[in-house]
Formats: sequence, structure tokens, C-alpha cells
Amino acid sequence: MKEEGKGNNAKKFGMVIDLDKCTGCGSCMVACMAENNVPFKTDESNKLDSITWMRVYRLRNGKPFPSADICYLPRPCMHCGGVGDQGHSPCVSVCPATATDYSTETGIVSQIYTRCFGCRYCMAACPYHARYFNWWDPVWPDGMEKYLSPNVSARMRGVVEKCSFCFHRYQLAKDRAFVEGRREVKEEEYQTACTQACPAGAITFGDLNNPDHRVNQLVKPDRRHGGRPGNPHAFRLLERLQTNPKVYYISGRDWVRQAGDHYLKSEANRPGH
Amino acid sequence: MDAALIPKGVKRCPLNQFAIGIAIVGAVALWGVFAMLLVWIKGLNQTNMNDAYGFALWIWADLTVIALGGGAFFTGFLKYIVGKDELKNIINYAVLIGFICYSSALLILGIDIGQPLRGWFIFWHANVHSMLTEVAFCLTVYFGVLTIEFIPLILENRQIDRVPFFHNLSHNMHEIMAVFAATGAFLSFFHQGSLGGVPGVLFGRPFGFREGIFIWPWTFFLFTWSAAAVGPCFTILITKITEAVTGKKLVKPNVIDLLAKISGWMLLTYITAKIIDTWYWAAVTAPSKGFSLMDFYSGHPLYGIWILIAEILVCGVLPALILVSAKGRQNPGALLAAVILAVIGVCLNRWVMVLQVLAMPVLTFENWVMYFPSWQEVATTILPVAYGIILIALSYRYLPIFPQEQELNPVE
Amino acid sequence: MKIDRRSFLSFVIGGAAGTALSPLPYKLTDDLSIWSQNWPWTPVPPDGEVSYVDSTCTLCPGGCGISVRKVDQRAVKVEGMKGHPINDGGLCLLGLSGLQLLYGPTRVRQPLQRMGRRGEGRWRAISWPEAISQVVAKMRELRSADNPHTVGCILESDRGTVPLLFDRFLTAYGSPNLIRTPSYQDSYELTLHVMHGVQAMAGFDLENATFVFSFGSGLIDGWGSPVRMFRAHAAWRQNNAKVIQVEPRLSNTAAKADHWIAIRPGTEAALALGMAHVIVKESLYRKEFVENNATGFSGWTDGKGQSHMGFKELVLAEYGPDKVAQITGVGADAIESLAREFARAERPLALCGRGRGMTPGSTGEFMAVHALNALVGNINRPGGIWALPEPDYVGWAELEMDDVASRGIQRGSIDGSGNSRYLFARSLLNRLPEILNAGKEYGLQMLMVHGANPCYTLPDSKTVNAAFGKIPFVVSFSSYMDETAKNSDLILPNHTYLERYEDVPAPAGLSKPFIGFTRPVVPPQFNTRHTGDVVIQLAKTMGGHIGRALPWGSYEECLKDTLKDKWRALTEEGFWHQPDFRPPAGAKAFETASQKFEFFATAIHAETKKDLDALPHYRPVEPEGDKSAYPLVLIPCDSMRLAAGFIGTPPFMIKTVEDTVLKGEQVLVEVNPETAKRLGLAEGKTAVLATPKGQITVKVHLFDGIMPDVVAMPRGLGHSAYDKYLAKKGANFNEVVGPVADPISGLDTAWGIRARLQRA
Ligand SMILES: Nc1nc2c(c(=O)[nH]1)N[C@H]1C(S)=C(S)[C@@H](COP(=O)(O)OP(=O)(O)OC[C@H]3O[C@@H](n4cnc5c(=O)[nH]c(N)nc54)[C@H](O)[C@@H]3O)O[C@H]1N2
Ligand SMILES: Nc1nc2c(c(=O)[nH]1)N[C@H]1C(S)=C(S)[C@@H](COP(=O)(O)OP(=O)(O)OC[C@H]3O[C@@H](n4cnc5c(=O)[nH]c(N)nc54)[C@H](O)[C@@H]3O)O[C@H]1N2
Ligand code: SF4
Ligand code: SF4
Ligand code: SF4
Ligand code: SF4
Ligand code: SF4
Ligand SMILES: [Mo]
Repeated sequence: MKEEGKGNNAKKFGMVIDLDKCTGCGSCMVACMAENNVPFKTDESNKLDSITWMRVYRLRNGKPFPSADICYLPRPCMHCGGVGDQGHSPCVSVCPATATDYSTETGIVSQIYTRCFGCRYCMAACPYHARYFNWWDPVWPDGMEKYLSPNVSARMRGVVEKCSFCFHRYQLAKDRAFVEGRREVKEEEYQTACTQACPAGAITFGDLNNPDHRVNQLVKPDRRHGGRPGNPHAFRLLERLQTNPKVYYISGRDWVRQAGDHYLKSEANRPGH
Repeated sequence: MDAALIPKGVKRCPLNQFAIGIAIVGAVALWGVFAMLLVWIKGLNQTNMNDAYGFALWIWADLTVIALGGGAFFTGFLKYIVGKDELKNIINYAVLIGFICYSSALLILGIDIGQPLRGWFIFWHANVHSMLTEVAFCLTVYFGVLTIEFIPLILENRQIDRVPFFHNLSHNMHEIMAVFAATGAFLSFFHQGSLGGVPGVLFGRPFGFREGIFIWPWTFFLFTWSAAAVGPCFTILITKITEAVTGKKLVKPNVIDLLAKISGWMLLTYITAKIIDTWYWAAVTAPSKGFSLMDFYSGHPLYGIWILIAEILVCGVLPALILVSAKGRQNPGALLAAVILAVIGVCLNRWVMVLQVLAMPVLTFENWVMYFPSWQEVATTILPVAYGIILIALSYRYLPIFPQEQELNPVE
Repeated sequence: MKIDRRSFLSFVIGGAAGTALSPLPYKLTDDLSIWSQNWPWTPVPPDGEVSYVDSTCTLCPGGCGISVRKVDQRAVKVEGMKGHPINDGGLCLLGLSGLQLLYGPTRVRQPLQRMGRRGEGRWRAISWPEAISQVVAKMRELRSADNPHTVGCILESDRGTVPLLFDRFLTAYGSPNLIRTPSYQDSYELTLHVMHGVQAMAGFDLENATFVFSFGSGLIDGWGSPVRMFRAHAAWRQNNAKVIQVEPRLSNTAAKADHWIAIRPGTEAALALGMAHVIVKESLYRKEFVENNATGFSGWTDGKGQSHMGFKELVLAEYGPDKVAQITGVGADAIESLAREFARAERPLALCGRGRGMTPGSTGEFMAVHALNALVGNINRPGGIWALPEPDYVGWAELEMDDVASRGIQRGSIDGSGNSRYLFARSLLNRLPEILNAGKEYGLQMLMVHGANPCYTLPDSKTVNAAFGKIPFVVSFSSYMDETAKNSDLILPNHTYLERYEDVPAPAGLSKPFIGFTRPVVPPQFNTRHTGDVVIQLAKTMGGHIGRALPWGSYEECLKDTLKDKWRALTEEGFWHQPDFRPPAGAKAFETASQKFEFFATAIHAETKKDLDALPHYRPVEPEGDKSAYPLVLIPCDSMRLAAGFIGTPPFMIKTVEDTVLKGEQVLVEVNPETAKRLGLAEGKTAVLATPKGQITVKVHLFDGIMPDVVAMPRGLGHSAYDKYLAKKGANFNEVVGPVADPISGLDTAWGIRARLQRA
């Protein structure tokens, strides 16, 4: 949990996903795989050992035909800040080897593959199932390793990986800014691969602390209340666990917003009640 | 043939009979070793763990053997710190069982990590906030302590003891044993606790998460307490089994009775605390996160409310009541039933605190996930059992583990 | 030796210190962990200079612009081209997976000649000259026997320079059998032909529509140009446009629509006509258009004194809401309110073409849906349906023909398209297998397949395979070892789209003229050759007037020569378009005899002599099969996550396929929980799905979004070729479905088939 960057220009990168625009097409999943050298196996139908940093869930409203409804929900890593954004993320706080860390500078939860020794405690800690273990050696069919990007290292067997908010893109953007004599990276200069690829324009990415950034305008996070969204249609997954995620969702449908968290039957604070 | 090695004044079975027994158990151990090598060479894909079950049979086995091995530290604590001197008659065995349990736990941890060659990063890049770091440190140091406690026992072998160097070493070590026992007890309070902290701090997993004080969730204390309570039960159970196998009385009833009585009171207080903890969790903690108690117990038949009843009432309250009553613990059948139930209770507790935590989905749109271990996982989990049996057999045969054996079984 | 406490302690401390000071254990431990961080079998991608190359994705008819990131000579990532008129930076998951095709194990790496039995997979690598001379030898042989018409050619599309090179080559050679792969676009072209009197493509000005009424089109499930459709969908959300989806299953499109109208499969035309009934009855139609720019709305008497029924009379008499409600299962009230809402909307647009639009549909249905647009006058207007002129940039010189060629062409196409039986169809690939099997027509001696995979994509796989068995010489131009390539005799592998120049005209459904352009992002990875070059070379080697027909030295030369002034725009921007294009309005829009929109298509009447054929109508297309033996109805479902066309689904995409679609090697079919309960089936249970065409083993997925008694099966699985990441996963929908020819057009109208589902 790095302590630097407590100053004014500390960033808090986050994502807003409009579930009413999301079509469930899966481009974000593939964009992420292609950007981040995610491996694949012959059988990927067991979703419990299939590495997808971005996973699009299919939610159902549970009603019978013809009142049935579905909604897609893309789930990257939430880059949880924990209570008060102090970096007490569920996963970071438990990693015994500091192989995953919270940057108070960017709000990004990193993952250091070469330090991770594969205990998987972080996976047990993450309620979003955003972490994936390399059960197998990554193997690319002969010749296919040509498309691997040098920006992101291929992970070896036995370590955990997850969405990095395409951190390498931030590094590249900062390099570029530095060369041009700027200190700040512009909103459009640092965009994640999934955001960029989404054909529906459902994903917005930027600095939640920056009122000029669209993510801030879309959800109006309340900094004094742990970043809770000000927009009534915006919500975070499992808000009540106080993981303080930096991924927000927007939906006009009550049942979708309700699916974001657990509520007792007696509770009146359920969305749409 | 090996008569020279066998302690004076006790009778042991013929060597070939012993060798056959060891060979059979050894075959099982080899099977486990084969599985272990497979896992090390091919990786954790040899298991049935998956991204939902990052922790599974092995971590359960770890938590469980350490709880059961708790007899060592607690008996040591009672003998050396509290001064219950009668317990010297069972402390050797408690230490041996503890040694087996802890070495097994370390072995399993060594198999369970994806990058065993980097296992030491847990020390080198330690994150002091992580319960697992605490576990690793305490466990390793305490294992060292147990080794030190175990060495004098080995040195007491008739032939080794003849060597003046070893004789003196043994003597010196005995003299400072109280220091190690105290250190061990201290360490144990922490690592048993930190093992409890492992699920307890998971604030993203409402089933495991517990509030607490300062950095320690209630499970921290509950795990220590339950290990202290059930560890001695396990020592009694193994002693009873050893007595059954050897067909001899090895420990005097008053020793067993004292241990059982202390264990009973520990268990009773533990289960009371556990009930309060469960109530607080169900009534306050879980609802604050949107869960009712039954949300935790109605997702899958395996994890029905029966498991809570079994753990707390059948395997907690019931054995505790038996053990605190003199009548109960002096009835051999009831005593045996009580220690067995208590052991099952702690196994169940560790099971739900690892496996049910992971089985239960937290996202509203995910489902309960079940898991069944692969044979490699089973074999590597049985490996410590086989290894334990072999170590007990060897120790029993060649070391004066039970100081009262000679007196209770005079060789005519 | 006596040990006291002192020597004991020094022993312990000394031993510990000694071990600690020895570097060996530490060095070893450290080295081992470093080794584990650098396992030689885990690849380390080399770094290098980064560059981007703009091009066009050709993996579907969407025409998206791509920007490919390169590191030195390696392509490392396909991204959407920013500012591109179709996709502006977005990309679908197939496009994003493109490099897995380029570098994938399914590439055909050099020309291959079949060795063992067909499909056995034993090949001999041959040289390009040898491959070309084999083809030429066969073609010369057929030509000298006066059988040039027995050479067929199946293409994905018949637009653009490469298909036109094939066309020109075949025509000069003497074969009329250039067959394109059918889709909903064929039905739209036919509709525009008979109702507008034009040869045009259907364009949809979706972004400007305020009320979109889709009769089963998978607007966000791969219909049209998929990324453009996603962007249109987002625009509708932004502008509060309303979207209605009519479909028996809660598809993604239905889920995202403002209203999902669950309808009995195959009855969409009746609903359209029922809506027309309400609009006509309540006089909600746009009179200005209907009265001034349309004919056939009311009945009339022709020159010969024969009276004909008009559209008005037909819908008023036959398609009252109550009757339509009975047919479709949609409530009469709903029909009325939908009709009113549609008619009153500012810019309403009705469209059809089921799912991804891979199968055409019945003429009556397309005309019925199109008639709705005519009633609200939203033709060639903003937010409406536009008749888009076909690309005309390929203007090659007149062809020379010899006698053999002329005789061959005069034999007419083998599939019956364009002849008196099916005058309106451009090609009827769906009819080909049965014709070949029946042996009634002249048959094919040789088949060339380019950019198509008919052995996989054509319905009724058994019949298709038998038909292929009847063709003695099959040549594939595929870059990948797909089912057709696997079952061919000779493979002349093309460069992939990332290794070649090519024009990509007219992406599906765009409302404006558009040409995309691919260029070599990386040099050819294998010993492949541009199919354009191969065709030119084939012609040259054939010699004579055939050689003169394709006079260019190379394909690139041909392309430059053909594109003329567009070449620069295409190479510089990666595309050419006409953003200010507007379709002709008013009378200029229609080139029918009456110069008007024809509710009553006189062209059809001239052919069939039946009033009902000429009018938009609902004629139930009964799915094949006996109702008692097959009590359920099976329909296909399309998803963006599975490619179902001639391109196989790459590994990344397969990864995104949900476990409710594919589990291990089995496909899951969607069944309503009520139906499943009756059949004694539970979630995930294995079952046998039988239709009159065949039977397959499936697993059951309970889904509340599917109509009771209907079973939905995903399209795009069940490949037998390609690599282990795709082959042998699930079953191919085409194994259990067959084509049903439309009586008017001959196009396939099958929307499903009767089926039976039983516990396995
Ligand atoms: N996906 C992905 N994730 C990664 C990595 C990766 O390669 N890929 N790399 C990992 C590694 S190795 C590292 S080290 C981390 C780096 O991650 P971070 O620790 O977030 O490091 P930087 O992003 O370089 O941020 C350093 C910040 O310090 C600020 N700064 C510069 N000079 C000063 C100064 O004098 N004083 C103060 N107070 N601030 C200053 C800069 O403005 C900059 O914002 O990321 C890790 N995460
Ligand atoms: N402009 C700019 N420069 C920076 C920084 C920055 O933020 N901006 N950050 C600085 C910091 S903090 C750091 S740590 C350095 C990092 O800089 P580098 O050391 O260059 O780190 P990477 O680029 O992450 O990885 C280097 C190479 O190692 C490969 N690799 C990955 N895993 C393995 C492995 O297991 N074995 C082997 N042999 N190779 C592997 C990767 O594919 C990559 O090609 O960059 C520093 N330089
Ligand atoms: S790419 Fe966009 S529309 Fe597609 S699934 Fe992801 S978020 Fe949804
Ligand atoms: S989503 Fe999971 S992995 Fe990501 S920061 Fe939160 S707890 Fe960690
Ligand atoms: S698996 Fe790796 S990242 Fe996760 S807790 Fe263990 S060491 Fe840390
Ligand atoms: S932000 Fe980057 S790493 Fe995270 S899901 Fe999107 S593409 Fe993947
Ligand atoms: S929609 Fe079609 S053209 Fe566009 S990226 Fe996808 S496959 Fe390529
Ligand atoms: Mo670093």
C-alpha cells in the first residue's frame, strides 16, 4: 500500500459501465485477452478455470415466459479501495507476499506475477471472482505466440492474474506526456483496451477524482461517503461489503440495480422500493 | 534383532510383524509421495481446485491438523506454565502428535502453493497485514520449537543415550524445555489465531467474515480456543487408539481424566463463545450486508442448517457436557464418544470456515459451487496420516514415549 | 567429551552461523526462484518498434475499419479504426481475434493436393505452378468436351474485384454457374426489385429512425454490419428512440428492446399484415405517399378487363386483429396498439431478416414488412429504408466470347436462378445440393470455392455432403482448413485479409455507398497466393480470349486500374464513402412500369399469374416434419460470440461462449422450463434432439425466455474441421435442418423445423 501520492493530483482511475447500452457482445472480453496476452486452452467451457480478466455475466430476472428478462454485466477487477480508499482491498490486504498492491497514486490494484507464489488467498478474498489462477502452463499453438504483446508479460503456471486496468497503457501514456513536456496525462490518452473496443460505447474510463472526466460526471461519486454514486441509476456491486469498488454500473431497470447487492426481504432500501 | 534399540522393560512385537505393518502403511505413503511429485512437477492442475475453490481439501487439512496438533502446545502450557505435573505422562505423546501435525501442515502448504520454489517470498516480501504471513511465521517458528521439543525424546533412545554427547545434550535440553514450551504456547496462541483470522478477515466473504477487536476478528480467538480445547481430545483419542492397537494401558486414567476435564471446560467455554459469535454474526454482521442466516444455509443441501447444528450442538455442546461431568468422562464409552465428537466438531468447523466460505456465492447472480477432490489431493492428504502412523510406530517402538508404560505393563 | 551448557550453546550458535554464512543454500534458493520466473517454456514477447497499419476487417460483411498494432514485423493487436464511418474505434470480438486466424494453426501453408480419401486429411504439398497447371488441365479437358458449364464456383459475395474476376473468368470460359452465398440481403434485393423496380441493395437509415420495429432481426446479434448496429443501438438509447422486437425467443436484441413481442415462430408476416390492417382501417397511413407514389393499394381492373385485388382489400378482408392474434399468439389489443404507435411515430422503420440474417426468407414476408414502410411512407427518407445503388466502380471492357463459351452460358444456371422458374433470384445455392443428388440437371464436373464454406454453412449437411461427393474435382481457395477445404481435392490458399490488398464493397445494410479496403498489414506468413492473382494466372494459362479477358499482369495492377481515382482515397484513408448521399425521392425512386411503388408487384404477377403472389401475404411456411412424431419446433439462435459463417470461431471467442451454450463437447439447447418439466428434462441433462433431417445429442438449458414447445439451438458450433479449439465442440445446426424453397423466389425460407426432444 504505497503512501506516496496523497497529494492533490492523486488519481482514482475508475470505470462506468452502462448496462442499458451493453449488448453482451463480448468484445470487451476479447479485447482484454488480446491486449493482455491471456492464454487459452482446448476446453474453456468450465468457467471455473477459464481466465477472463473481463467476464460478461448474464443476469436473469427470474420471471417466467414472457416476462423473462436478461441483462449483461461486464466484470473487470473492481480495483477496490477498501474503506476510506486506504488500499485495504479485500485481496491486497491478505496477500502474504505483497504480490498485489494498491497504488494510492492511481487507485489501481497491481499484480506482480513474478512475486506471486500462488497461495490463492487473494482469490478467496475477492468476492467478485476477478482473480484467476494459472492452473496450466500457458501454451500457444506453434506460431501463434507471434501476436503476443511485449507490453504485458506472459504469466507462468502457478500464479494469479487479473485485470490491471491496462496499467501498461498508463505507463505508455505517461512516457508520451513526459516526452512532450507535460506532467498530466489527458483523459483520452489513457483508455483501457475494453473501453476502446466496446462497440456500444457502454464503457467509460477515467479519473473519478477529476470533475472534467466523464466517469466523474456520469456517476457523481460522493468522496465523503466512500465514493458512493450520486446518480440514482448508478450502483456498485456489493456496495454493502465496503470493498469500495472503482467500477460503477448504470441501469434504469430496478431489477438490475437490485441484482447488484444483497437485501433482506424486509429492507425498504432496495432499488425500486 | 532390534532388541538393543527397544527401551528397557517394555515388550514390543517381533520385528518382522512390525516391518510388515510399516510396509503396508509405507505403501500408502508412497502413493501419497507419488501424487505429491505429480503435483510438484505438473502443477496444481492435478487437483480439482478451481478459481472458485482456490482453497480446498488441503487448506482444510492444514487448518484441521494444526487444530488437532494443538494438544502439544496446550498440554505443554498446562504442564510447564500452569504446573499440572501429572501431564508429564502424556506430554511426550502430545509433542509427538503435534510434531506430526505441524510437519504435515508445512508439507501440505509446500504442495498447495502454485510456485513452491518461491514459497520463501512469504518471508522475504512479507506483508505484515496478511494473516497468512502471520501463519507462516508462527507456524515455521513453532515447528522449530516442536522439533526442539521432540529431539530430547529421540535422544532418549537406549543406544543414542549411550553416547555421552547426546546424553548431555538431552539433559541440557530438558532443562531449558520450559522456555521452549512457553515460547511454543505463546506462538501457538498466535498462529492458531491467525489461522482463524484467515477466513475471519475476508470482509468480501460474508460467510467467513467476523468483526472483532483491533486487527483480530473473533475467529482469531475462537480458533485458538477450539484448538486448545480439542487438541487434548485428539491426544486422548490417539492415545486410546494406540492403547487399542498395542493392547496395553499406556497412560494412567487420572492423567487422561485430568486432560479430559480441562478439555471439557475449554470446550464448554469455547462453544458458549461460539454460540454467542454465531448469534452476533447472524443477527448483526450478516444482516448489515444484506444476508439472513438462512441465506447461508439454503443454497445447497450439503450446506444445510444441519451442518451448523451438527457442529455446535452435536459436536460441541454434547461432548463438552460429557467431559465436564466426572461421570461422563469416567465412563470409557462416553469419554471415547466425547473426544471423537469433539474432533469431528473441529474438523467440521474448519471445513465450513474454508469450504463453505467459498461454496457460497457472494455476487447475487452466481451460483453455489461444489467441489470434489481429485485422487492426487486425497493421496497427498492421506500421506501425512500414513507418515504420522509410521512416525508414531517407530517412536513407540524405539523411544520411551509413555513413561508409565513399564509400570502399567510389567514384563515378567 | 563432556558437554556443559556453554559448549552446548556455542555448538548451536556456531552451527547456525556456519550454515548462515555459507552462501550455498541461499544462492540455490534464490536461483531456483529466479528460474521459476523465467521458465524457458513461457514465451517472452520480443520488444521492438511500434507502428499501426489501418485496414479493413473482412471476417463478416460488416466492413469495419481496423488499426493493427505492430511490433517490428509482428502484428500484435487488432483495434478499431478511430473515426471510421462504420465502427469509429469499436470492434466486434471476431475482428478483435483476427490475429489468431493470421497466426493460427488452421492456416493452409502452401498449395495442397489431396492424397487419401476426401476428408481424410492426407495432403501432398505441391508448388504453385503445379497446382495451377492441374486446374488448367481439368478446365481444358472440360472445355474441349464442350462442357464448360459444368464448372461451378461458390463465392461469399458477387461484389468487388475478386468475385468479378471469377465472374469474368467463368463467363469467358463458358460457365453460368457463379453462385453466391445467400442471405437476407437476397430477399431484400428481390423485394426492392419487384416493389421498386430497381436493382438495389437495402440500406437502413437506422441512426435517424425514431421507432424501430424488427420482425425477428437480431439487431445486436450480428444482423447487418454488427458494430454499426451496436452503435445504432447506443444511439437509440441516447435519443430515446423506441425499439420493438418480435421473436419467439428472448434474444439479446429482444432483451435490449423497449418491448419484446413473443410471437409464434414463422408467423411474422401475419403480424405485419395485421398491423397493416389496423393502419389502413383507421386511416393512419401517409396518404400523400400512398396516393401519389404507390399503386396496387386498392383493387383495379387491368387493360384486359380483369379485376385485381388491392393491398387494402386484402388486409381488410384477411388480416383482422383477432384472426392475426390466433395465428401469431400476439394479443389483438397489442396488435392494434403496436400498429397505431408505429404509424404515429415520427420516423418509423420496419425491418426483417431473422437473427443474423444468414438465411433469406419468404417473399410474402419481406413484402409484408416492406409494405409497412410504404404505408408510413418511410422509403428513401431519413430514418427509413433506402434503396442503395449497387457499387458500379468496376467498369471493365466488354468481354469477348467464343462459341464454346456462348453455348455454355446458354445452358442456364444449374441452380435454376434467373431462369423462368426462379426469375428473380440471383443464385440459389440452397437448391444446388438436391439438384446434384437428383442428377436431373447437367451436374457439375468441377467446383471452385472461394470465401465460402458450404460444407458447413448449408442446411441439411447429409445432403450437402452427398452432393459434394458427386463433384469429381473440388478446388478450394481457402486460407484456412475449413470443412470445404478439408473435403476438396486441391487447395490454393489465399492470403488472409491481413496480408493482401482488396476492395471490400458495400457492407451489409449501410445506408450510404461505401467501399472498404484491405492492405497487407504483415507480409504473407506462408507460401500462399492472392486469389486475384491466381484467377488472373489461370486465365492467362488458359490463353486465347480467356487470357485476354483478364489482361492485367497482377491483381494489384488490376485493382489500381479498376479503382482509378478511388485508389488514392482507399490507400490513404482505408475507405471511400459518400457521406452526403441521398437516395432519389418521389417518382424518381421507382422504376416499375408505373414509376410508382407497387403494393401489387406486377413483375411477380407476370410470372405466376396469381394476385396473392403479387401482394404482400402470409402463407404459412410449415416446418418440415410430422407434428405427432415431432411435437416441438426447433429454431436456430445467433450470437455474436459464435461465428457461424465461412470463418470459424477463433479461440478467444470460444472462450467467451457461456457454459449455458457449450459444455465440454456438448451444445446446450434452450427449452422452456414448463416444456422441460413435461418432457422430464432438467438443467444440464443430456437429451436426444431429433428432426426429420437427423438427430444429435445435446444438453438441456432451461430458459424462461423461450416460448414453450420451442427449442432453440445455437448456430456456429459442431465444426469437424479447423483446430482442436473449435472442432468437435457441440453440433452443427445444419445437421438437423433442411431448406424450404420459397415458391416465388426459390430462396430458402426455412426458419426452423419440427423436432422431438427425449431424455438420453
Ligand atoms: N499492468 C501492469 N501493472 C504494473 C506493472 C506493469 O508492468 N504492468 N508494473 C508494476 C511495477 S514494476 C511498478 S514499480 C508499479 C508502478 O506503479 P506506481 O507505483 O503507480 O508507479 P508510477 O505509475 O510510476 O507512479 C509514480 C508516481 O510518482 C509520481 N512522482 C514522480 N516523482 C515524484 C516525487 O519526487 N515525489 C512524489 N511524491 N511523487 C513523484 C509520479 O507523478 C507518478 O505519478 O506498477 C506495477 N504494476
Ligand atoms: N517510461 C517508463 N519507464 C519505466 C517505468 C515507467 O513507469 N515508465 N517504470 C520503471 C519501473 S518501476 C520498472 S520495474 C521498469 C520495468 O521495466 P522492464 O524491466 O522493462 O519491465 P517490463 O517491461 O514489465 O518487462 C520486461 C520484459 O520482461 C518480459 N518478461 C515478463 N515476464 C518474464 C519472465 O518471467 N521471464 C523473463 N525472462 N521475461 C519476462 C516482458 O515480456 C518484457 O519483455 O521500468 C522502469 N521504466
Ligand atoms: S464490449 Fe461493450 S457492449 Fe459488448 S459486452 Fe462488453 S461492455 Fe457490453
Ligand atoms: S475486485 Fe477482487 S481482485 Fe479486484 S481489487 Fe477487488 S478484491 Fe481485489
Ligand atoms: S496468490 Fe499470489 S497474489 Fe494472491 S495472495 Fe498469494 S501470493 Fe498474493
Ligand atoms: S481494463 Fe484492461 S485489463 Fe481490465 S478488463 Fe479492461 S482490457 Fe482487461
Ligand atoms: S463486425 Fe464484421 S467486419 Fe466488423 S470487426 Fe466484426 S467481423 Fe470484422
Ligand atoms: Mo517497478
